[in-house]
Amino acid sequence: MPPIIEISGLRKTYSRAFRQPHNALDGLDLEVAAGQVHGFLGPNGSGKTTTLRALLGLIRVDGGTMRIFGEEVPQRLPDVVARIGAVVESPQFFKHFSGRLTLQLLAESAGVSKTRVEEVLEQVGLRDAAKASVKGYSLGMRQRLAVAQALLKQPQLLILDEPANGLDPAGIHHMRELLQWLAHSQGVTVVVSSHLLSEVQQLCDSMTIVSRGRRIVDGSVADIIAGHGDSSLTVRFPDAASLPEAAEALTAASGSLDAAKAAVTASVDRDRLVVRGAPEASWVTKTLADAGIYLSELRTETKNLESVFLELTGTAPVPGQTVQIGESAVVPAAPAEVAVGDVTIEVESEGAER
Amino acid sequence: MNLFKAELRRIARRRLSLIFGIIAAAGVLVLAGVFWFTSSKGPTAEALEEAQAEADRMNEENYEYEACIEDEAYLEGPDYEWVEDDPYYDGLSHEEACAELFGVWTAEDLIWTYTFDFAEESPLLLIGVAIVAGLVMMMLASSAIGAEWSSGGMANLLLWHPNRMRVWGTKLGAAAAVCAAAVLALMLLAFGLLYLAASVRGDVSGVDAGWWDENLPKFARAAVLSVGMTVLGASLAMLGRHTAISGGIIAGYLIVGDMLVRIAAMALQMPFSERLSLYTWVTAWVDGKTELYDWTDLYAETADVMVITASEAGLLLGGIVLGFAVLATWAFQRRDVS
Ligand SMILES: Nc1ncnc2c1ncn2[C@@H]1O[C@H](COP(=O)(O)OP(=O)(O)OP(=O)(O)O)[C@@H](O)[C@H]1O
Ligand SMILES: [Mg+2]
Repeated sequence: MPPIIEISGLRKTYSRAFRQPHNALDGLDLEVAAGQVHGFLGPNGSGKTTTLRALLGLIRVDGGTMRIFGEEVPQRLPDVVARIGAVVESPQFFKHFSGRLTLQLLAESAGVSKTRVEEVLEQVGLRDAAKASVKGYSLGMRQRLAVAQALLKQPQLLILDEPANGLDPAGIHHMRELLQWLAHSQGVTVVVSSHLLSEVQQLCDSMTIVSRGRRIVDGSVADIIAGHGDSSLTVRFPDAASLPEAAEALTAASGSLDAAKAAVTASVDRDRLVVRGAPEASWVTKTLADAGIYLSELRTETKNLESVFLELTGTAPVPGQTVQIGESAVVPAAPAEVAVGDVTIEVESEGAER
Repeated sequence: MNLFKAELRRIARRRLSLIFGIIAAAGVLVLAGVFWFTSSKGPTAEALEEAQAEADRMNEENYEYEACIEDEAYLEGPDYEWVEDDPYYDGLSHEEACAELFGVWTAEDLIWTYTFDFAEESPLLLIGVAIVAGLVMMMLASSAIGAEWSSGGMANLLLWHPNRMRVWGTKLGAAAAVCAAAVLALMLLAFGLLYLAASVRGDVSGVDAGWWDENLPKFARAAVLSVGMTVLGASLAMLGRHTAISGGIIAGYLIVGDMLVRIAAMALQMPFSERLSLYTWVTAWVDGKTELYDWTDLYAETADVMVITASEAGLLLGGIVLGFAVLATWAFQRRDVS
């Protein structure tokens, strides 16, 4: 099945007075397969919203091609738009209309039935608030109205830019179930951009991470975490004095390992030893036991999306310093193919400054 | 078509439409009311008699006049010898000459009556109603589009209807249709109420085929002007993406810009400097024709005359409206929406 969304080499440059033009999108690629919940991640200002706006014909781009349902957009957008529901960045509505009227007008304009308006209001939990004017809506209520607006046409492709923004825990939970139900039982393809990584980890099947207008990585969520998770082991000893000795033993033993494997590194971190690149936890225990050192605790650090994200985007916090907007990782334009497990993932590894 | 209907409904559901509608209808009602209460078919006999008595009493207090009336030779006295030679007093009777010289009160001086002459006065009023209605509709149209931009509703609408030309065309069409309907309704209301006031308390004679032939084209042109203003307001709101920008530009030009242009033209001693004023052209368009006189040649027997016809004015004003509409179309098509 061809991808539902295909973007390649997308460019968007904003010219700025008296300064160098700014490349908001710098050759971005994106592919979204059918029937999946696809996460679209990246630091602030990395170009997520810009990509979605371009995809939906709100802004012009300076290069690259985009296809939705195999149709070239924005040229053919009018033909496919009836199948696309979208929310782009904190949606705003005319303040003096009620939520219901806002939806009714949109429904009327596109020939969607009135009963559908009531259905979506119910679905997003706005049934009782629908007659109040939007002016009196809270952030989360506006967000719900926006999602209702996107669901109104019963889309086959749902594009949501930070849908969880402002939602309460129950709302987030409900949204997750709704999106998964849409994707997995209704066959709707869902693209969500989000900064809530735990949410993405629970919700999404696949994802794309971007930084500075370029794709860093894409693939299934599980594979990306497995492939990039900082798979480290933390080792403790009854006596802290044995730390350097143990580190030495591990580094020495790693020389006898398969050359194809990455080198094992062992570094002392206060009263612990952090081991990276070890083939197995048992290899560590055995090596240390052979050297006559006995450990008191060995823990596998769980991998999560947050650490992967921070590592890949180069936005991991440094004590006493704030990562500024636009300081995230830069990747070279040509992607390098790296095999991870049995899935091929394009990894555009962290590059130096251009 | 769906989009057009939705757009009409959107305009109709706006609170501003309701407010403007009420204000406009109330304005017409007040206008008709003013004529209703000020107009009358002349004084009653009783009022006339009362006024005559008051005038007589006041004339009695006018001693010089009394003395003049009583003395046939009063005007031959040394103070008034010149009267005989003054051609102005030629052919006046003695009493009339006294009245001219010393002033005399008549019943008409003391009783003020006004008769609303529908045929004479209503065309200007109806044209005024059309133009004011046009201004109101212009504000409404620019606010309908401006508010949709500033509220972010436009971006949302484009997610549903990516064909921008269709969206803009529909919006413009809806605004023009609402304007035309509103202007027509207000003119009919004003016509009805004024005619009623005139037939009960004034004069409706003269409203015949000739009257219609003369005035109907003016009414039609005034209505077209209103629609043109609405299109202009909508285009400016589309360009500025804000209600205030559109209203500000129009009000600013009509109040300050127009004056500055005319002052500049006068300073440059340009002949027919009024032709730079938009008001001149608007007048020419509605009235059918305007004549401008140029007196810069002080030794000329007669002034130079410049005639602006309705079709010339229509071309110019239509060109301005069209120019802004095209500019707005181009900008909407090209510019990013965010
Ligand atoms: N209208 C604009 N004019 C100039 N620069 C813009 C404009 N819109 C976006 N940008 C720039 O484009 C870049 C990408 O912005 P974008 O909104 O796509 O980021 P984002 O990934 O959605 O960020 P966030 O996570 O904060 O929503 C930013 O550097 C931003 O400064
Ligand atoms: Mg964004």
